[in-house]
Amino acid sequence: MMRLPFIFALIITFNFSISAQNKAIAAGEKLTFTASYNMSGILTDLAQVTMETSEVKTSKSTLLKLKCTAVTYSKWDNFFKIRDIYESYVNPKTLKPYLYNRDVNEGSYYKNMKYTFNPSNNTVKSIQKKKNNKIEQKNLTIHSGSKDIVSTIYYLRVLDFKNMAIGTNKSFTILFDREEIKGLITYLGKETISTAIGKKECYKLAIGSSEANVLKGKNSNYLYLTADENKIPVYGKFKIPVGNGELKIKSATGLKN
Amino acid sequence: MKKAFTFFAIITSSLAIIMAVLPISNLAILPSIAAIIFGVSAFYVSKKTGTPKKIIQFTFILTFVALAISGYKAFFTTTIVENTDVIDAKEIQFEEEAIQELEGLDINDADFTEIDTQEID
Repeated sequence: MMRLPFIFALIITFNFSISAQNKAIAAGEKLTFTASYNMSGILTDLAQVTMETSEVKTSKSTLLKLKCTAVTYSKWDNFFKIRDIYESYVNPKTLKPYLYNRDVNEGSYYKNMKYTFNPSNNTVKSIQKKKNNKIEQKNLTIHSGSKDIVSTIYYLRVLDFKNMAIGTNKSFTILFDREEIKGLITYLGKETISTAIGKKECYKLAIGSSEANVLKGKNSNYLYLTADENKIPVYGKFKIPVGNGELKIKSATGLKN
Repeated sequence: MKKAFTFFAIITSSLAIIMAVLPISNLAILPSIAAIIFGVSAFYVSKKTGTPKKIIQFTFILTFVALAISGYKAFFTTTIVENTDVIDAKEIQFEEEAIQELEGLDINDADFTEIDTQEID
C-alpha cells in the first residue's frame, strides 16, 4: 500500500509539451475520486483520493498550490489507515514546481519528503524525514523538465490532445523518492464512458513505467481525461504487482471552463 | 465423496461468514458460491446414500446468513471518510511552513510569462 497513491498518480502522469499553456486548471478546483481494488473481479472501495487547487500568495508572487490527498474509508481504518498528503507549489502558468511536499502516513509507516526546486540550475534540495525522526538531506541534480509527481499529474491536463495523432508515444520524467523515473504514455484516441458526473467523451491514454515494480504489463494501465477544455481525469485502470485497481471520479467542482 | 463435499461446504461457508463481517464483505460472494456448489453436491450424494444431512443444511444456513450480511452492507451502508482531523491540521501546518520557505526562494517573474515547451521524447 505504500506506493498506492503514487501508482494512482503515475497512472495519470506524463510529461512532454507541445506549446502547452494552462487553460485547464484554476484555483478552487476540487476533484474527488474513489480508489478501488479488484479482487477476483469484485471491486472493493478502499480510499478517497482528492485533488485540490488553491492560490498561495507570498510577498513576491502568487503561486498555485496543487494538493492530492488519499484517505482510507472508515471501514478500513482499523486494518490499514492511510492519511497521505502530496502537494506542490507551482507557477500558475507553466506549472513549474518550486516546492514539493509528500507526507505519507500508512499504518505504522511514516515518511515525509520535501523538495525545494531551483529551476535556474536544475538542482533540488531534498529533506527526508522518517518515523524515528531520522532526517536526511540531499542535494540532487535533475534533468531539465523533470517534475515532482503532483505537478506532473496536473501538467498532463495542459497538453493539446486535439492535435495529437492516435498511437503517439511520449515519455516523461518524474522525481520520486529522490530518483528520476521514466514513464511512457500512448494516446489511444477518444472514447465515451459513463461516470458519476455523467457520460463523458474522453481522451484514452495507455501508461507504462520504467519501474517494473510500479506498474505491470504493457498497455494494462489506462487513464481517461475528459475531451473538453478542463481535461479532468475521470477514470483510471491500473495493474500493479498485487492486483488490479481502479480510480473513479465521484465529484468535480470549481472547474475553470 | 460426500465427506469431502461436506468438508469443503463447511470450510467455504465459514469463510463466507468471516468475510461478510469484515470490510471485504462484498467478496463473501465468492466463498458463498463455492459453499452452495459443495453443499448441493454433498446433499445430492447423501440423498443417494440416504445418510443424515443436517450438517449440510447448516452450511446452507451459514451461506444464507453470509449473503444476507454482505447484501445488507452492499446496499445499505455508505463508504465514508472519517477521522480527518490530523490530516486537516497537517495541511494547515504544511501550508504555513511552505509559505515561509517560498518567501526565501528566488522566484523569477519571467517564469510567469514563459511557457514550458520542453519535449522529452
